[in-house]
Amino acid sequence: MISPLAGRSGKRRPRLLAVLGAAALLAAACGGSSGSSSSQSTKDFGVNATGTVHFWARQATDGPAKALVAAFNATHKNLKVVLHLTPPNDDTSQLATAIRAGSVPDVVGLNDIDVPTFSHENALMNLTKYIDALPYKSSLSPGHLKLATFNGQDYGLPYLADLSVLWYNKKLFKEAGLNPDDPPTSYAQIVADAKKITALGHGIYGFSFAGDCQGCLGFTMLPSLWAGGQHLINGPLGTQTANVANDAPLKTMLAAYRTMWAGHMTPVADQTQNGLTWGADFEAGKVGILPGDYGFAAKFTTKAQQAEYADAPLPAVNGGGYSTFDGGDDFVIPAGAPNASGAWEFIKWALEPQQQAKYPSEGMTPIRSDVLTPSFAATNPYDAIALRALAKGSVEYTLAYDAVFNEPGSPWFKMFEDAVYNGNMTAALQEGQSGISSTLASVKG
Amino acid sequence: MSGQVSAPPSERTSRLRGGLTQSWLPRGGSAAGRSAAGGPAPRRRSTAASRRTTRTGLLLIAPALLFVTAFALIPLGFGVYISLTNWPLVGPYHFIGLANYTALVHNSVFLQSILFTLKYTAIVTVPILVIGYALAVFVRANRPGSTVFRTMIFVPYIVGLVAESFMAVVELQPDSGTVNFVLAKFGIAKVSTAWLVHTGLALTAISVLVIWFASGLTMMLLMAGMQGIPVELYESARVDGASWWGAERRITIPLLRRSIALSLIISVVGSFLAFNQFFIMTDGGPGTSTESVVMAIYQTAFADFNVGLASAMSIVLIVVVGLITFVQFRYLQGDAD
Repeated sequence: MISPLAGRSGKRRPRLLAVLGAAALLAAACGGSSGSSSSQSTKDFGVNATGTVHFWARQATDGPAKALVAAFNATHKNLKVVLHLTPPNDDTSQLATAIRAGSVPDVVGLNDIDVPTFSHENALMNLTKYIDALPYKSSLSPGHLKLATFNGQDYGLPYLADLSVLWYNKKLFKEAGLNPDDPPTSYAQIVADAKKITALGHGIYGFSFAGDCQGCLGFTMLPSLWAGGQHLINGPLGTQTANVANDAPLKTMLAAYRTMWAGHMTPVADQTQNGLTWGADFEAGKVGILPGDYGFAAKFTTKAQQAEYADAPLPAVNGGGYSTFDGGDDFVIPAGAPNASGAWEFIKWALEPQQQAKYPSEGMTPIRSDVLTPSFAATNPYDAIALRALAKGSVEYTLAYDAVFNEPGSPWFKMFEDAVYNGNMTAALQEGQSGISSTLASVKG
Repeated sequence: MSGQVSAPPSERTSRLRGGLTQSWLPRGGSAAGRSAAGGPAPRRRSTAASRRTTRTGLLLIAPALLFVTAFALIPLGFGVYISLTNWPLVGPYHFIGLANYTALVHNSVFLQSILFTLKYTAIVTVPILVIGYALAVFVRANRPGSTVFRTMIFVPYIVGLVAESFMAVVELQPDSGTVNFVLAKFGIAKVSTAWLVHTGLALTAISVLVIWFASGLTMMLLMAGMQGIPVELYESARVDGASWWGAERRITIPLLRRSIALSLIISVVGSFLAFNQFFIMTDGGPGTSTESVVMAIYQTAFADFNVGLASAMSIVLIVVVGLITFVQFRYLQGDAD
């Protein structure tokens, strides 16, 4: 659900170590070869493949993975897909270990922000010519594709979108005298609306956020900066710079969070919300506005719920635009995958509109914009909002995403804590600027 | 096997005292043994027997030796090698000498995590020992109900720190956790106290949890030691008019020295390698203020993808824990023999 969240006597010994090191190097080298399949012709590749495809997917996005594998195996006699789910926090380490050991799966549903880490080390198969041959390439989520692109070559393609949206409670809006069809389009409006909703009392809060979930905060706050054309990290890999101290919209947004936290417009428990029960207060009807995950929609199944809970795009801090975090997964084929052709056949099948249209029922958004037809929008009103935002979605393109944003001690989170909970805005922004800059400098790109 | 008993009694006795397995030595001995028992055996035969004993001994420990070599020594050696490279999680690597080790001197996260781990160890070690000792005194006698009591105290250790940490996370939540509601009744905390996002409160909560978790093990170790002390010693002390505390101080504690040493070493090493409770309850936060050394190593390897540096940190940790354990051994067992 929370996609961007996501942790080794004398002269004989050196010789032994050298042998071990060489063995590891050989394993890495074997894993690092591009594999025979990449030289296969585009026409034959991924057509009538046989055998078994080992598919690794993240437990965090297991819904579509399980559904796809079950449906694929039910309709394909000669090609079988075996699913392995990687536990949260260990997605990258498990794949990296497999690559080191030279024993890789055939296809991986990798968190899109982690793809650059692997593509930059030549650990993934170059899929450019196969992706170019797809008739619907232009409909694929540009943000997801960008993360899989390195030196003009594509090392992966979008698999599923896990997008951030602004949830709001129409019933509470009405009770607070607000227009339920006019969701906030700037942070100033968010604060004003939250204040009115909090005034309802009886344990109702205007706003809520996952205050101890670093990934959730990046997932829901960064799009409001992107919508205004700002990115916290700029420049090409290797020489990236941080834009924090002079980022006025960032300051405005942090100040808005501070105002709402200090003004008791948010539940006290927000400070310890680590993402495990994120959105539960909103689903209980106790919260007016919640920047959150589209996946919460899976809880709103009845007509009454759908009349009460609505989603809107995440607005630019100062209004005038919207965006979303291009979260979710990319399909990648590790270099040296034994059944790359089978993997590609599975990928192509998963990206067909028929399969894509089933994603919303699993709490995910399709990654093809051409899936958004009037009938799709009528059936999936919540997802139509998310899918529309997908065209304006973005990411922070960096090898240091986890270190800058997702880690508990990340400079982004330290800045947030100091600004929102302690109210030290100036110090927090300076800390953020220097912390993010030094983290970027320490990551070798 | 019969050859084993051909050694002269004096040599045999000394070997037995040295700790060789005496149970498999035939008590009556073979004819050869009996005939040899009367006088000194020829020196050549003794040497041959000794060599055979050594060979048998080596053969017997071979499986353990192989296991330790394959699963501890070789990986450790490989770990040292990795620590001398820039080993990333994926991609090629190269030898960089001691650069990782010199970088550690300026690595504030690592140094802070060591200091924090030392602080945490200092906080929990004494309470675990004192409470464990008190509980052992309470349950050592086979009174009715003591088995139930022992089980109750030991259950937290059996359940495990992972499950208990998750339970603690739920029960420490502001506005909904049981802990705050109970403490608020006594005016100790507010219902809205957010334990896990403030360094001091989080460390307090985790320390209390760990003391509750680990005291049971110390209790079992010390209780086993206490039950091994001959009851006659206490009886004669009582005849001599010794008080309960006098007997405890002059008989129990001196004779428990090895058990106390063992439980202290287990407790200190456990504290130094603490990971689960911090990973689950605070994730090292706020900031990195509750990040233990092992967590810092984990983050460096699997979040920063710097396995080389993480290996150097691990080697330093092994040396530090080894030194502390060595000092404890010397201090606690030095004059026991």
